[in-house]
Amino acid sequence: MTRAFAVEAALRCYPTWWQVRYGDEVRSVADDLGTEGRTAKRLAFDLVRGAIRVRTGPQGMPKVYRLWAKRTRLSIAVATLPWMLGAPFVVMAMGSSSLHSLGGKVIYDGFTPVGSRLQLLPTSGHYPLNHSGFPPLAPPLTVAGSIAACAVLGIAVLFFVTLIVLAIGWSRLTTGIRHSSSSQRRNVMLLAWAPGFALLADIGVFVTQTLVRPSVYRLSTGAPAVPLNGNPAAAHALGVVLAIVAIVGWLVSILCVAAAAKQAEIAPSDLRFGRTVSTTVAALFALLVAAYTMWGIGLIMQARQAARGTFTTITYSSQGLWLPMILLLFVLVALSALGARAAVRSWKVISLELI
Amino acid sequence: MASKRLGRTQDPTILVLTSLSGGPKHGYAVIKDIESMSGVSFGPGTLYGVLARLEEEGMIEPLPAQGPRRPYRITATGAAALRERLEVTVKVADVAFKRLGALGA
Repeated sequence: MTRAFAVEAALRCYPTWWQVRYGDEVRSVADDLGTEGRTAKRLAFDLVRGAIRVRTGPQGMPKVYRLWAKRTRLSIAVATLPWMLGAPFVVMAMGSSSLHSLGGKVIYDGFTPVGSRLQLLPTSGHYPLNHSGFPPLAPPLTVAGSIAACAVLGIAVLFFVTLIVLAIGWSRLTTGIRHSSSSQRRNVMLLAWAPGFALLADIGVFVTQTLVRPSVYRLSTGAPAVPLNGNPAAAHALGVVLAIVAIVGWLVSILCVAAAAKQAEIAPSDLRFGRTVSTTVAALFALLVAAYTMWGIGLIMQARQAARGTFTTITYSSQGLWLPMILLLFVLVALSALGARAAVRSWKVISLELI
Repeated sequence: MASKRLGRTQDPTILVLTSLSGGPKHGYAVIKDIESMSGVSFGPGTLYGVLARLEEEGMIEPLPAQGPRRPYRITATGAAALRERLEVTVKVADVAFKRLGALGA
């Protein structure tokens, strides 16, 4: 790695206004320091560290509305996109739940196991009734297991509330783009609509798969069911396509919305709304991760409590993913909080000094 | 050195203002000056982060560029802020030396 290449690469990490203002001076200083023996690696490291500082705290940025508006929009994107990246994983990473006790599998009759009647599942095809004529009750959930189950409910509520907040924010963003006078308005609008297009593609593949999926089977004892209509091979292939379209569409949507947020020239009132959305999403995301943390800790504690008595325990199909997920989520929450803080500060500068 | 265990005590802002209080200097000259007076060697990323902040706060101002190099000079606001900060530092240092003397250290 040559010194000039390292310095140029590191300078690219800085915002454009900074490169225009200080780029030549920094090149000259780096050149002088390099000549006297400072290594390319040390120079690049120092510059990248400086770039992170400039990106997170805009010291020296000229008080020009266009620059601060762009910074606010990017901060809003940084505050909201980590949720889009991480929250679906939280929901998927828990998987489906099942209840067990020493007497066997346990079922419940409510929305969640907490507060529901826990009953033993029959194993021989009928409910063994107790002397009162009811199916036998299962032992209660451990306190830790109940906390984990409540956390799941909390995660679901937080997920959907955030989704609604984001949908409102996205709607405001598209309205703002529609009313802007930018020549790039149409392209930016297409980028902002990427989640909608991805959803339409998902629905299209799903409907096609439903149409070709066999619905009538010939059943015979001891032999596998034979489909009488549809195309099982095509339905299977479309199932794979659906998964790919869903994941790729979701990732592309995130990138497109980030690009739209960067380019959209929206009105100050829309920026203020975006700042509120970003702080709300960051706060809800932090709560969601707190609930996910509680869920994981509850499941770990449950094993200890269950060992001390007769209890029903709750398990989730993907609870093994908790630890790697929580590490990733802490990074995403920190990023989201930093974005929200930057959005608040940038908006403060705009509202107090630039409009 | 035992003082290393106390962590970083030199504030880059004070070092840059102190350097510029000796007259206008461009980036490389500031780095060399700070190196000779405190032994701290700044990189360009650290230095220009401080310069940008000080310029925004009106404590220093850029002079016309000489090729790729641009000298900076301290302003009256910067000089006043530096003086105020140093007075506190000197006061703390006086107390610290007196107490260390009483300890016989």
